[in-house]
Amino acid sequence: ALISKGPPYRKLADSLSACRVLVVGAGGIGCELLKNLVLTGFKNIEVIDLDTIDVSNLNRQFLFQKKHVGKSKAQVAKESVLQFCPTANITAYHDSIMNPEYNVEFFRNFMLVMNALDNRAARNHVNRMCLAADIPLIESGTAGYLGQVTVIKKGLTECYECQPKPTQKTFPGCTIRNTPSEPIHCIVWAKYLFNQLFGEEDADQEVSPDTADPELTWNPADTEARATASDQDGDIKRVSTKDWARSTGYDTVKLFNKLFKDDIQYLLTMDKLWKKRKAPLPLDWLEIQKLACPQEVTGTGLKDQQVLGVAGYSQLFSRSVETLRSMLADKGDGAELVWDKDDPPAMDFVTAAANLRMHIFSMNMKSRFDIKSMAGNIIPAIATTNAVIAGLIVLEALKILSGDVEQCRTIFLNKQPNPRKKLLVPCALDPPSANCYVCASKPEVTVKLNVHKTLVLALQDKILKEKFGMVAPDVQIEDGKGTILISSEEGETEANNSKFLSDFGIRHGSRLQVDDFLQDYTLLVNVIHCEDLEKDVEFEVVGDAPDKAPTPPSAQEDKNVANGNKDSAEPSTSSKGDYQTQSFEVSCFVTAVGAIISRSQPPFGPNR
Amino acid sequence: MIEKEESIISEEEAAQYDRQIRLWGLDAQKRLRGSRVLLVGLRGLGAEVAKNLILAGVKGLTLLDHEQVTEESCRAQFLIPVTAQGQNRAQASLERAQYLNPMVEVKADTDRVETKPDKFFLQFEAVCLTGCSRDLMVRVDQLCAQHNIKVFCGDVFGYHGYMFSDLGQEHNYVEEKPKVVKPKTDESNDGPEAKKPKVDPNETTMIKKTASFCSLKVALEVDWTNEKAKSSLKRTPVDYFLLHELLLWFPALLHHSSCGSHSLCVPRFSPTVLLKFRTDKGRDPHPESFEADATLLRQIRDDVLEAMGLSSELLPHDFVSYCFSEMAPVCAVVGGVLGQEVVKALSQRDAPHKNFFFFDGMKGSGVVDYFGPK
Repeated sequence: ALISKGPPYRKLADSLSACRVLVVGAGGIGCELLKNLVLTGFKNIEVIDLDTIDVSNLNRQFLFQKKHVGKSKAQVAKESVLQFCPTANITAYHDSIMNPEYNVEFFRNFMLVMNALDNRAARNHVNRMCLAADIPLIESGTAGYLGQVTVIKKGLTECYECQPKPTQKTFPGCTIRNTPSEPIHCIVWAKYLFNQLFGEEDADQEVSPDTADPELTWNPADTEARATASDQDGDIKRVSTKDWARSTGYDTVKLFNKLFKDDIQYLLTMDKLWKKRKAPLPLDWLEIQKLACPQEVTGTGLKDQQVLGVAGYSQLFSRSVETLRSMLADKGDGAELVWDKDDPPAMDFVTAAANLRMHIFSMNMKSRFDIKSMAGNIIPAIATTNAVIAGLIVLEALKILSGDVEQCRTIFLNKQPNPRKKLLVPCALDPPSANCYVCASKPEVTVKLNVHKTLVLALQDKILKEKFGMVAPDVQIEDGKGTILISSEEGETEANNSKFLSDFGIRHGSRLQVDDFLQDYTLLVNVIHCEDLEKDVEFEVVGDAPDKAPTPPSAQEDKNVANGNKDSAEPSTSSKGDYQTQSFEVSCFVTAVGAIISRSQPPFGPNR
Repeated sequence: MIEKEESIISEEEAAQYDRQIRLWGLDAQKRLRGSRVLLVGLRGLGAEVAKNLILAGVKGLTLLDHEQVTEESCRAQFLIPVTAQGQNRAQASLERAQYLNPMVEVKADTDRVETKPDKFFLQFEAVCLTGCSRDLMVRVDQLCAQHNIKVFCGDVFGYHGYMFSDLGQEHNYVEEKPKVVKPKTDESNDGPEAKKPKVDPNETTMIKKTASFCSLKVALEVDWTNEKAKSSLKRTPVDYFLLHELLLWFPALLHHSSCGSHSLCVPRFSPTVLLKFRTDKGRDPHPESFEADATLLRQIRDDVLEAMGLSSELLPHDFVSYCFSEMAPVCAVVGGVLGQEVVKALSQRDAPHKNFFFFDGMKGSGVVDYFGPK
């Protein structure tokens, strides 16, 4: 090992060989971290990752080779490490850390936990488990050239959830359906369309023109009336998009003309929308065929970086619909496809549909390469950033194990040095937040929602799981009777899911006690009944930042990493990994970089 | 000069390099793909740099190291198999290095770098020297600069490390900046507002820039006795001084040894210090006599500082204890920064760090600083 066994370090070296550590994630940071740990003298390491190896990992996840594509990351990482350090004692788990098997007792086996994750849900979960087990946690993230490491220790530092993180950016339905102004709106629309035609239909993912657009009228009551009218309307909009498509046999020409001509013409009748905007221009299939000319393969760029013309994308649309239709048919009755950026016809479909829509709305079309970035929430990644961050993680680990946790810091890796010449910027750790809804002693939150319109299922999935990061919530109403609203045991309260909260007597001022036993976490939820939430907003957490991610003014240079263009508006429908939260996940974690760069904060006094 | 190859990137390359092409662009990837790099020294730092450059997709990487694998160095580096004792270090690292990326031509060279003729270096676009003596670094830098070859140096001593770069007097590169976008007005709540014409917020533009670097020789010729330099020294925190002054002037003072398990730094290349030690003790510093040797090294440090006209209080007493061998995480940090500087220089993209990077692993601080003519 490279820790010298000279007098000052013998004690440390001994504790390194003895202790057990857990590495959560065996990807970009994980591979580098495992290597650093064994070379530094750590002997007992457990690593967990649910993912398998993909060819796009090979530019940085150096423990993997091409022949390993498809295999378990944790397993192959272990085998590779043993090649250069056969005496290391490594246990690999091809599993999700959120599996209830990894309970507080499991976490208590370790002296230290190090995250090497790419999504918020898992980070929140591990945060809570480490708090419950009172084990120090080293958290980290990278995106492109930027990275960050920090230490979380119960009672001493902020936990991962002490600072509210900006939530995923979402776009209003009318922007997606009626008035897109940026390519991302069209891409989101195309992904919705995929689901409507081939995947799981979702009421929140409508693609047809929205007659209840608040812009259409100055009078809110009018909007309400239109919304009700369109609900009751027996016209084509009531027939599900999938059913309609099926009824035409997924006829590509009919589909094309409906989406890119008829629906656009319908939008044009809503003239208020186009008073100050450039109106969309409908396409016609036959007209386009006439224009079609063979596409030249130009130059030396990547094939995917070509931007085709309207004719090209119409062809692509037609071909991909054909392919997807037959894939769906092959799967049998009631089948659904799941969108995946690495599934070529699915990616082709979104590329084509998004581009056609961009063209209609006078936006420059984009290459498949660019669309894949946005639709798939791809975060560019390189080996060196991960190498630096993983080095810093181990250095923090050594401080913790020597009992020098007060030496621990949050460290930011910048792309360029700050005005104080620092490329790596250590900052003092902050103490826990007194009203953190996770690590405070009796955490409480207040949620605004409409008790008559919120389903129990929505409470469970969208509020407790998605928003508050619980994995298996149990909910009791504080009504004197201890009524159980949601049980984490499967099937027990399923009947409640389709009922509204008000059906259980929940009203303004009600309190819900929510427990997640796995996370050893209890949260008290105060309910505020509210009837005028914004359109498309189902609930609001009081005290939260608004949905639009706040951009610190100095982060403008880092716009291309932090919150901006790489975030998708919608949860990814891909089953392979949580790309949706990966992007803003890392970017949130790293977003403070912008602020730090301009802050001339000396972390240390002159005596250091 | 690296000529951009007007060639197609294969499907295999596009798939493997996808995530980095999305960061630095196809042009940069092509330039990397046309570059040959020489890497001297395959200890911990060398292995990190090798990994980073091979993964980045350079055309070729030559691993040059004349030393043999010892029991210690087996455990010190992730490219060398545990069965490789007695083999040449570069040779032993070759197989695993090649596995990192079969598309890169990785070679091993077992010669002493001092014996290489000048023309040997001319086949490379960049040369990276790790764990080398000052004299060697100065010589190679001087030679390479004449031929427009980018030069990088680096070393790690316990918790500390540094890198230096000389990209020549006229290093051209591009920076990608977002196109200035007219701010959009927010939609107000009480009616449809005009949206400005659609400007894609993702559009960027490439700006050409030039940076000028001095030679290592010049960078080291900093006169600390003049008043201006002295006064700036007062405002410089101690650790900063430790890092850049001591490491620059006495790299070998803190150099790790390849013998034994007490990896006390054996000054091998600094004639001044070693000569003094030898003169005083009649032998080289030895791990077995750690305590005594450490004391002597401190004394030498004090003497040298005094000769420089600087107070010995500038260095913490226990600096020596911080400076054992190479620490893997420090190699990872310095190797990461150094590797990325090589990538930037070869791809001619993004502002290079000019011209030193110092890392303090105790504090977690990494500083870029310039030493050379104003």
